[in-house]
Amino acid sequence: MMADDKDVLRDVWFGRIPACFTLYQDEITEREAEPFYLLLPRVSYLTLVTDKVKKHFLKVMKAEDVEEMWFEYEGTPLKWHYPIGVLFDLHASNTALPWSVTVHFKNFPERDLLHCPSNSVIEAHFMSSIKEADALKHKGQVINDMQKKDHKQLWMGLQNDKFDQFWAMNRKLMEYPTEEGGFRYIPFRVYQTTSDRPFIQRLFRPMSQEGCHQTLGDLLKEVFPAAIPQDDEPKRYQVVIHGIEPMLETPIQWLSEHLSHPDNFLHISIIPSPSD
Amino acid sequence: MSSDTDLAPVSCYLDEETFRLSCQLFIQHSSSIKDGWSWVQENASLEGYMTKTVVVAGKTALDHCRNGHSHLEHEADAMSVVEQQVDDEEEAPGQQLEADGHGVMRYEYHVLYSCSYQIPVLYFRASMLNGRSLSLADVWNSVHPSYIKRLLQEPWDTITQQEHPLLGQPFFVLHPCRTEEFMRPALETAHAQRKKVNYIVTWLSVVGPVVGLDIPLSYATAVGAPSLPDLC
Repeated sequence: MMADDKDVLRDVWFGRIPACFTLYQDEITEREAEPFYLLLPRVSYLTLVTDKVKKHFLKVMKAEDVEEMWFEYEGTPLKWHYPIGVLFDLHASNTALPWSVTVHFKNFPERDLLHCPSNSVIEAHFMSSIKEADALKHKGQVINDMQKKDHKQLWMGLQNDKFDQFWAMNRKLMEYPTEEGGFRYIPFRVYQTTSDRPFIQRLFRPMSQEGCHQTLGDLLKEVFPAAIPQDDEPKRYQVVIHGIEPMLETPIQWLSEHLSHPDNFLHISIIPSPSD
Repeated sequence: MSSDTDLAPVSCYLDEETFRLSCQLFIQHSSSIKDGWSWVQENASLEGYMTKTVVVAGKTALDHCRNGHSHLEHEADAMSVVEQQVDDEEEAPGQQLEADGHGVMRYEYHVLYSCSYQIPVLYFRASMLNGRSLSLADVWNSVHPSYIKRLLQEPWDTITQQEHPLLGQPFFVLHPCRTEEFMRPALETAHAQRKKVNYIVTWLSVVGPVVGLDIPLSYATAVGAPSLPDLC
């Protein structure tokens, strides 16, 4: 099973979404802006991987017409601090590829989006997620025992798309005392577009008091029971992680170890089932 | 049991129920002195947060920002963010950066519970009355000068922009990483004196003033702790 599990880690890391970036029609250009096509890593962040997009559109714009770049999909500003794959699964998973994203350089939506003035802001956000995940898994003991250069290795691995470099460090964050059977709590967030609340995050133990492995279904029962299909009813929601729907019987500990994002969180999107 | 409680280490962490009850007691006193705090319930599951909105007149950030940047230079992250913010700052028409620095600002403070760290966290945002949001640079520059040095030397006290976990909107957050460091002495002293402290009163009295939030002294004497089994 170990070989299969390692394949899962690679498949998650190398997942890509084909995207088409189009300049917002009201932006002021010196000549027509062509759309720009790019394969986006599911596990990375928009502002980390779109330098080429910016360069492409800057070629047809005057510097004074360019402010902080931001992205929007069908009128919804895209939160750069969410992993790209989560944004896609949440907003566009049942639509035709490539993913059509609109690029803006003006009127930054202050009430909706965090600013991203530099890569160090992305790094700080990424490391903050990793620390929070470790606080849940290990009371922060593993991340605090690592040196600064180890933290840097996690970030550089993500930034430079280096699977081996990243996992050399990340495997330590996936360990747990054998007698425990799993992490203390599972770092997860459940997203859905139909509520004002951005996500649901709660304390959830992977092992029950009797020592049983809790499943994805057990987690949903507590956090989003409407996602569990009732006997005779058609499935109302899809429960999506990295673009797939894992079986509800999957142990949550296994999902946390293998399908977490590099930030060590399991990001779960709940989307309405497409009507045929 | 009394000898056991003498030896038991004091927990610097807060469970969610104690958080909620401590906030309720805090708000009761707030109502009696008209200090403006209220509770917002998110849904039927008791999750919620404490909030207060303050309108302040005073210096706008930007009248002394050009001079103020020199002392930020050795803090690389703050520097790049602050400089970028100031360079990118677009003045809304009619919103002038007056030499005498008058401006009226609206500050919103939210006290939320972090189940990951099991401590309270302070979120805030500020805007001019015309709706223009204050930037991170504005916020840094509106921090009282006596706190700026401390904020820069102790990165664990850094202010960053984060998404509010219940509202999904950008807020500024005072990092909670080292809450234990200043809560432990206060909690241990109280424990040794067999007094119970209200965690929220103690915590907010320390972190609030750093970001312009005043906690009148009467809270310390008037607000009790929720009745709970001994901390251990």
